[in-house]
Amino acid sequence: MTHRELLHRRTFLADLARIAGAGLVAFDLQLITACAGDDTARHTADGRLTAAEARTLRAFAAQILPSDNDGPGANEAAAVEFIDRAFGMPFFADTVPVVRDGLANLDARANTGNSRQTFASIPSTEQIAIMRQIETTPFFATARTLVVMGTFADPSYGGNRGSVGSSLLGIEHRPSFTAPFGWYDGQTTPHVTSGAA
Amino acid sequence: MTGSPLPQRTYSERDAVDFVIVGSGAAGGVMAKELATAGFDVVVLEQGPWRQSSDFTHDELAIEQRHDWLNIALEPYQSFRTTAAEPPRRNTGLALRYMRGVGGSTVHFAANYWRFRPSDFKERSLLGAVQGGSLADWPITYDELEPYYTKVDWEIGVSGAPGPSDPPRSLPYPMPPLPIKSSGVLLDRAASKLGLHTQAAPFAINSQPRDGRPGCMSCGRCTNYGCEFGAKSSTLVTVIPKAVATGRCEVRTECTVSRVETDAKGRATGVVYWDSEGREQRQRARATILAANGAETTRLLLMSTSAQFPHGLANSSGNVGRNLMFNCYSSTFGRFEHPLNEYKGAVAGRIIHDFYEHDPKRGFYGGGGIDARFPYNPIGFALSILPKDVPSWGSGYKRALREYYAHSVRFTGHLTSLPQAGNSITLDADHKDARGRPSLCLTYEDHADDRKTQHWFQTKTHELMEAAGANKIWDLPIAPSDGSVQLLGTARMGNDPRESVVDRYHRAHDVPNLFVCDGSSLVTSGRGNPTMTIQALAFRAADHIRRFAGAHAI
Repeated sequence: MTHRELLHRRTFLADLARIAGAGLVAFDLQLITACAGDDTARHTADGRLTAAEARTLRAFAAQILPSDNDGPGANEAAAVEFIDRAFGMPFFADTVPVVRDGLANLDARANTGNSRQTFASIPSTEQIAIMRQIETTPFFATARTLVVMGTFADPSYGGNRGSVGSSLLGIEHRPSFTAPFGWYDGQTTPHVTSGAA
Repeated sequence: MTGSPLPQRTYSERDAVDFVIVGSGAAGGVMAKELATAGFDVVVLEQGPWRQSSDFTHDELAIEQRHDWLNIALEPYQSFRTTAAEPPRRNTGLALRYMRGVGGSTVHFAANYWRFRPSDFKERSLLGAVQGGSLADWPITYDELEPYYTKVDWEIGVSGAPGPSDPPRSLPYPMPPLPIKSSGVLLDRAASKLGLHTQAAPFAINSQPRDGRPGCMSCGRCTNYGCEFGAKSSTLVTVIPKAVATGRCEVRTECTVSRVETDAKGRATGVVYWDSEGREQRQRARATILAANGAETTRLLLMSTSAQFPHGLANSSGNVGRNLMFNCYSSTFGRFEHPLNEYKGAVAGRIIHDFYEHDPKRGFYGGGGIDARFPYNPIGFALSILPKDVPSWGSGYKRALREYYAHSVRFTGHLTSLPQAGNSITLDADHKDARGRPSLCLTYEDHADDRKTQHWFQTKTHELMEAAGANKIWDLPIAPSDGSVQLLGTARMGNDPRESVVDRYHRAHDVPNLFVCDGSSLVTSGRGNPTMTIQALAFRAADHIRRFAGAHAI
């Protein structure tokens, strides 16, 4: 068995929990940690997003990182296209059923009475109200994580289209930099080699 | 990326070489170069592939989320418990993690190179016993190790400048420090207000072209990433090419060792391993050196049982896998009015070592160093770094991402971990790694003094952040340890074979031609950033092993 095949055995949800420690930072997604032990959610991904799922996910992504007066958001960064591709990658296989069920649930919640409404077709304020109801579910944490990844991931995965994500953070795209790097070191001249005080 | 990118001599598995070294990381790379240069035939077995600078990218998803290079990608199950009385459960936390590949974790580390101080080697004598701890003196002193720290400075390539309370050094740094960053200017400002002292942070990174490698290009991706420029002084680009160039060293990649074999006389005869095709092989050697890191060295010794060594090799003391130390941390974040752009440049520009030494007035064991850094890339930052009172989605979240990323910094205490006999790595018979070896089981609970040290230092980092003038300050919650990248103490050095695994020359007390030198050798934890000391130990061990071999005393 090659290392690559072995690599794919890892479960993504367990891995999200491991991010907790990386960089010595407590990770926010307690629910994902809890969910990581649940092996029943594991089954093979059977394909990419349907058109209806993509529509619902776009509406969801637009609420996570909106396009607003402050500039473009997750959809301009092509986060949903990233997720569509991610669903074909073994590493993300465990997220597929979680996201798929959650998207169906969003549409079900939007379809009150016999209105035939979908999550994407209801007004933004109603979308927000629904998202608040499910904020602590594994679906919300997983889908939010994927939207964030799609906004900031390397363009080779289809993420961060047009540098929307990195521009949002104020990152200059250059392979190398020279001092001064920021405002504060720019104020001190010249660079001193032994410490102050 | 598999196989060797460098022309190298190859050895037959059937012929006994002088030394087989398990691991090509911080210590293994150094020992390979030292022993091959001295004229011995050396085979290095490395679990991972041979990546080159041209293989390295800034792909955060692959490196920081998928962990393509780490052991945890191939070992999906590790278990954890806080004490041996508990049943082990799946470790969904940090777990025991290290880099697989030529150069080991020196490829992806942040390259902070702090020396230990004279007191680190004799804390038991200086402080007495600490209840619940297994504090011990090292069998060597700072003075004995100092020439080898200097060797690391000059042969590996360290940049820096002396600080006000540094231990003595026999030669200056070979290179000036890396440029100060905004975080360093702010730490200077804060320290000055509080009457503390800063100094330039020492790094195993070229600050100028040296030894055929360029100076740092300040791309900002040191932590977790490989250096595309070869400016970071990993063993991949320093000692390993030199070892191979002697014509007496073969680095064999994608080889996973399963046991050290011994003969009827109790001497090591070499190792058994799976090669890159998964075939079982043997490499015979006159002497075996384990430099596989504190977790893998433990696993190998515990797997190498025999009638003569029923509890694992070199384990008559019962200390293999015990006295594990991680180094504790505590941190405070701050946001400032103007951009710092900490995503550029090496990880930290300035450090404070005023609180390095243990101070009995604090009332608990411990000490530490403080630095200023913000080693976060976009995905990790957006998912986990913002303060808790900031929205986690919506326009407020998006605005916060913009307002915080380039404007924030973390002041971190790099702290002691008290050695405790019960903190250990053992084999998990119920789960296997990718090659079918028993999984690692971690038993670990921070000592009460470790927790007090963390809280004491967080008060300091918080005060410093206020003094630096941050307009928003948030502390990183202090959580119990459940893993680490620093895997220390599991085959500790010592003079007494009943209390330690290897002697002052890294020779196993129980097996005369088996040497162990890596993080497992450390007797105490220092204050984080242990690689400098691991490499000084490796240079020293190689010096003595070379002498023993020359005198036919192995």
